[in-house]
Amino acid sequence: MDFLVALLPHLVNGISLGLLFALVALGFMLIVGVMEQINLAHGSLFALGAYLAFVVVSSRVPLPPDLLAAWRAVPIGWRYAASLVLAPIGVALVGMVLELGLRRTYGKDPLYGLLFTFGAALVIEEAIRILFGTRDYVLPVPGTIGGGFIFLDLIYSTYRLYAAVFACSMIALLWLFVERTPYGAIIKAGAHDSEIVRALGINLSRLRLLVFGFGAALAGVAGIVMAPIWGIRPHMGVDAVVPAFLIIVLGGVGSFWGAVLAGLMVGLVVGLAGAYASEWSLLSMYLLLIAVVTVRARGLLGKKSILEA
Amino acid sequence: MVPRPVPLVTPGMLALFAVLATVPFWIARVGLYPYLGVEIVIWATYALAYNLTLGRTGLPSFGHGAYFGIGAYAFGLAQLHLWPSLWFCLAAALLAATVAGAAVGLFISHRRGIYYAFMTIAFGQVFWFVAVKSHALTGGEDGLLKIRRLPVELGFATVPLDGNDALYWFALVAFALVAVLLWRLVHSPFGRVLNAIRQNELRAAFVGYHVWAYKLLAFAVSAGLSGLAGALFAMAQTSAFPDVMSLHWSGIVVMMTLVGGGLVSFWGPVVGVVLFFVARDVLGAVTASWMLWFGLMFMAVVMFRPEGVAGAWQAWRARRAAASRAALASAAGD
Repeated sequence: MDFLVALLPHLVNGISLGLLFALVALGFMLIVGVMEQINLAHGSLFALGAYLAFVVVSSRVPLPPDLLAAWRAVPIGWRYAASLVLAPIGVALVGMVLELGLRRTYGKDPLYGLLFTFGAALVIEEAIRILFGTRDYVLPVPGTIGGGFIFLDLIYSTYRLYAAVFACSMIALLWLFVERTPYGAIIKAGAHDSEIVRALGINLSRLRLLVFGFGAALAGVAGIVMAPIWGIRPHMGVDAVVPAFLIIVLGGVGSFWGAVLAGLMVGLVVGLAGAYASEWSLLSMYLLLIAVVTVRARGLLGKKSILEA
Repeated sequence: MVPRPVPLVTPGMLALFAVLATVPFWIARVGLYPYLGVEIVIWATYALAYNLTLGRTGLPSFGHGAYFGIGAYAFGLAQLHLWPSLWFCLAAALLAATVAGAAVGLFISHRRGIYYAFMTIAFGQVFWFVAVKSHALTGGEDGLLKIRRLPVELGFATVPLDGNDALYWFALVAFALVAVLLWRLVHSPFGRVLNAIRQNELRAAFVGYHVWAYKLLAFAVSAGLSGLAGALFAMAQTSAFPDVMSLHWSGIVVMMTLVGGGLVSFWGPVVGVVLFFVARDVLGAVTASWMLWFGLMFMAVVMFRPEGVAGAWQAWRARRAAASRAALASAAGD
């Protein structure tokens, strides 16, 4: 019983970490799930979201002096809220530019799309280094979601709770959008049988452009939410894309709930490993993946996909 | 159809080796430096070995840096703790990387596509992580230092490799041996099965081949030869570091292989390696952010010439052959 009580905070921590991992993977999952493209630039878009939010919140926006002074006078809560809208829009635009290049690889070996986005990841990361240098930044957050609170004799970080709730609502919203709206139906149909969708008079090229932009925006949102936890630095992209890719493979390509489940599993395993062998905690997720994929050919809940060929 | 027999050594191959052998005599005069030649030959060996999986068998291995690094560490550890003999240490590197590759191959060879790719990444990350964290054995991020360039013992003579020129020629001999071995391998019946797997894994299985055994063997051989290149790299750097095992450097060897045209040509990876290192030095001399420009170049290659330099060259030759045939036909028509 004592053991369980000692375990409880690590479990809570693991679950909240898992929700965050699932959030980080959402944009990657959307693009893999409906476009069957592996977007290795996901991590760089994630980092870009964090940097853009930093620019907006800390008032480093390139504006005329009087406008800038006015922006600085805005309370931080509003500036933070604005960054949650503006930064993902900026990231979505970058993502759409990427898609314009990526579309040349459609219909070819999926390897080419993967390599194109790998090149894009290198370019975006280097561009971030040029623009912002290699130093770390801290994203200021409103006081209401900072600090900590005490529950059952244990101290929790308010921000982590906020981030976990945010992650839950993003997962729910994405699920509702893909499964319960006509737009989601068109997107899924486009992935399933592109010829028929074209024959129905739907502009598939534009649809793919928008989906990629949407996936990029999700990466940007995740970057903003994770920024206060992981810190803003050029390498944060690599720290995000590898777990995102891992979660999709672990959950199985094409499965929404597989990815969410995988995110929770990774969070729990990393959280527990962090509690008992903190130096090796990052290793645990790779061992988890190896263990699962050794037994199950398509991850936890994967479906048949061209990415298997 | 009986495949056309392929000679063990082609005239083109001999010409390439001969040209490469003259590099130390002129590399300094064109504004570059001898160590660059050493790096290029070693990474060319690595990329050729790597391409046995990606280009020849169609296996998307994205964690190959692990085997390159294991070779480097095995070479260093064998030298520091067991027996400082060049042949012994090279054999140790080859063996360690082959065993690691075969062990990983057991886990991944039943997997395909994205699952295969990510399993190779996961194992690569595990090896990289262990190399970073095992301070006592590998020196962690500080690296395994004080690795010597052991002399070549031929029985009747001993050749020191301390100079970059001597090491270059030694690495070139290793490159030539690996190239001939791989050339023979991909043109053997074994290599033809690998090619069949690349074209359609399912069909190869239905024809009756034990696809997983072939995938495992190809992966182990590729890993072993990558380890040999890693051992040479440890000699060149006189140390071994974990960063070549990272995902970043594993990705870069894929990039080099692709830019050169490894998917359509045996020699493509070599072209890619030369381009990468020369671009690093030439662009790096102009701008500190050369990776930005190299990345953009790479994206353009994937967009417009996905078959790489070798693919562009083959397309040009095919066009020229068609043009000359058309010219002959119209001349005959007159």
